[in-house]
Amino acid sequence: MRFRNLLLFIFIICWASLMRTSAQQWVVPDDQKGKVAPFMFSPDLQKQGEGIYTKNCVSCHGMPGKDNWVKQLSPPPGDLAMVKAQKQSDGELFYRITTGKAPMPEFRNILSEDERWWVISFLRTFNPKYVQPNPAGKGVFTGKVVKLQMTYDSVQKKVKVFATELTKERTMVASEGIGIMLFVKRYFGNMQLGDPKTTGKQGLVLFDFPTDLPGDKEGKVELICRVNDASGSISSSPVTSTYAIGVPTNKPGLTETRAWWSTRDKAPVWIILAYTISVIVVWSIIISIVISVIGIRKLNRT
Amino acid sequence: MDNNKTTFEKLTLDLSHHIRINKGFLVWMGFLTVALCVCLYAYGLQLKQGLGVAGIRDYVSWGIYLSNFVFFVASSLIGMLISAVLGLIGVKWITPLVRIAETIAVAFAAVAGLVIISDMGRPERLAYVFIYGRVQSPILWDVTVVTTYLVLSILLLFLPMIADIAILRKKAQLLPAWLRPIYNVLSLNYADTPEQNRIIHRSIRTLSIILIPAALSIHTVTSWLFAFTTRPGWDSTIFGPYFVSGAFVAGCAAVIIAMYFFRSSYKLQDYIQDLHFDRMGKVLVLMCLIYLYFNINEYLVPAFKLKKADALHLHELFSGGEALMFWLVQLGGLVLPIILLIFSWFRRPLPMMLISIAVIVGAWFKRYLIVIPTQEHPFLPIQHVPANFMVYSPTLVESLITIAPFILVLMIITIISKFFPVIPIYETAKERGIEPFNSDK
Ligand code: HEC
Repeated sequence: MRFRNLLLFIFIICWASLMRTSAQQWVVPDDQKGKVAPFMFSPDLQKQGEGIYTKNCVSCHGMPGKDNWVKQLSPPPGDLAMVKAQKQSDGELFYRITTGKAPMPEFRNILSEDERWWVISFLRTFNPKYVQPNPAGKGVFTGKVVKLQMTYDSVQKKVKVFATELTKERTMVASEGIGIMLFVKRYFGNMQLGDPKTTGKQGLVLFDFPTDLPGDKEGKVELICRVNDASGSISSSPVTSTYAIGVPTNKPGLTETRAWWSTRDKAPVWIILAYTISVIVVWSIIISIVISVIGIRKLNRT
Repeated sequence: MDNNKTTFEKLTLDLSHHIRINKGFLVWMGFLTVALCVCLYAYGLQLKQGLGVAGIRDYVSWGIYLSNFVFFVASSLIGMLISAVLGLIGVKWITPLVRIAETIAVAFAAVAGLVIISDMGRPERLAYVFIYGRVQSPILWDVTVVTTYLVLSILLLFLPMIADIAILRKKAQLLPAWLRPIYNVLSLNYADTPEQNRIIHRSIRTLSIILIPAALSIHTVTSWLFAFTTRPGWDSTIFGPYFVSGAFVAGCAAVIIAMYFFRSSYKLQDYIQDLHFDRMGKVLVLMCLIYLYFNINEYLVPAFKLKKADALHLHELFSGGEALMFWLVQLGGLVLPIILLIFSWFRRPLPMMLISIAVIVGAWFKRYLIVIPTQEHPFLPIQHVPANFMVYSPTLVESLITIAPFILVLMIITIISKFFPVIPIYETAKERGIEPFNSDK
């Protein structure tokens, strides 16, 4: 009796694991298939998407349309410009990028939702037949399309950001009431300068630039301004420019001086000396001892 | 003084009769060779398919290969303790043990380098360590000191043996024919002349003196491979002395085991006496006590502060996944041996040999506990890794590759002991008041 139970048990286990392997297909739940982007894809966003794609996806998928994906991987990642990927809905692509499936990593916590949509907007440029469905919840994108320009006013010593928006007549006019944030690029990310500000009638905001902010050797700092938009009703891209307005700092990089952690030719002198001297001393003693011991062959007469 | 002459004849015979190839040797070496071939096959698999055949992954990238390396370097240190420290102090009873200790040192040091290579995915790039090595890196220092220590140990094994080789060369009937030419060359025409003795003694003294810092540095540098990082369990200022004292524990145990087997299989009961076991037992207790002291420091100080990462690590050792191994090692491999060896009843050959086996097994697993749990708990876990990256379990192939160095050590020790006297003839004779080169006078 017992034994039969055991057999049955083993059988169930085998069957279940078989089912598991055949269930290894990558199924997108139905409610995810219809998901659409919250904004219209634009050349700007496609450009952003390209940047993210080249950082995160090229290593396996290669450049779309070039068929240079990594052939050794199993299952094959494939070229994402191919029909197999392109015939899928935006929602399906979004789900796959979000969840991943070994060996493809999940990008849930690596890319923000927007960034994942940007990548999709980039991938869709390889599909001439693609027509974007209306953005989620909003029907046609009704928000503003805003363009930023940044300049540095060396007289007032202020950073000036000028926002314009696209009107229905397709002309650019000064945009009022747009929240703007200013950042400066540091080693490990961007540091915000001051609080976010809102553009006035002329579409202008002025940010004070601190007098003690270190720049590179020539005092150059990289500034980034972007729209402060939580609602997703504004489409715009950040603007980056470099100005020589920081305090020139000429600290040698951590690996440019002699240090423990530097390359071999930048080893601290005392280590080179200590190492070489001890090796030379010890090995000359060893060699001289070997020579003198071999020499006893001739000293065997009392 | 005919009496002296016969005692010397008997002594030489006793101490050299094992120098021959007999059936036992062939069977033993045959067994080792077969076992080694199996292990080499496993290594071949690793060479062909890459390190993936071992259980090591991105988290635990060292695994038992590196614990094994630390163990081998540790065991080789005993040569320094017995022949240099005790020898220079002038301790007399060690005479019959010096060569055994030095043989163990040579065997373990010679193989230690090979152990490291087993952890390399591309061993053919070994030369890059030297071509591109940074003087700032403890790895380069380690390679340097291990090589130096090996050469020093070989010299310290050989120099005191010249006299014995010369004695046996004169009594060629005691040697197998094929060994005689080798003895002729190695004896270096030694004839016990004052000049020759002066050179040899001075050389041995100098070598013993350099051997001490060299030995200390090989194990201290090995400990720095760990202690120079800030990871929990390795970030310790006492790692150097902690490793060195642990090394003496392992080495003493190795010498005691070797003493036991040489004594019984080469019939050396008159030379390696119960007294030597008793003394070595005391040395082992002393070393264990020092090591216990360092252990208490090493665990109690972080356990008192329980910084976050240390807490995780210590919990894993004291009551977590590694607890069983940890307490077996600490109690069975350290505390219990100390308690037992305090009683003279246990300092007799057989009980001591068994205790030493427990100590040496404990010493090996102790290295496992130093290397692996820390690697399993990185400060910054890698994202999106498969589950088998996080928990380490050695594979069969990896275990075989780890056993290979032990086989090599046994082979080296066996071969040395079959070519040369295990116990110094010259010194033993002198201690018994016989002039080995003028025994008829
Ligand atoms: C580590 C390699 C790797 C990386 C990096 C990677 N992928 Fe993948 N990807 C794969 C593999 C392998 C598959 C196939 C999985 C399967 O079919 O089970 C795949 C499948 C896909 C699919 C589904 C394709 C289809 O034809 O159904 C999409 C879409 C996709 N990846 C997008 C991306 C995007 C976008 C990125 C970057 C954000 C990315 N992948 C990064 C390996 C990778």
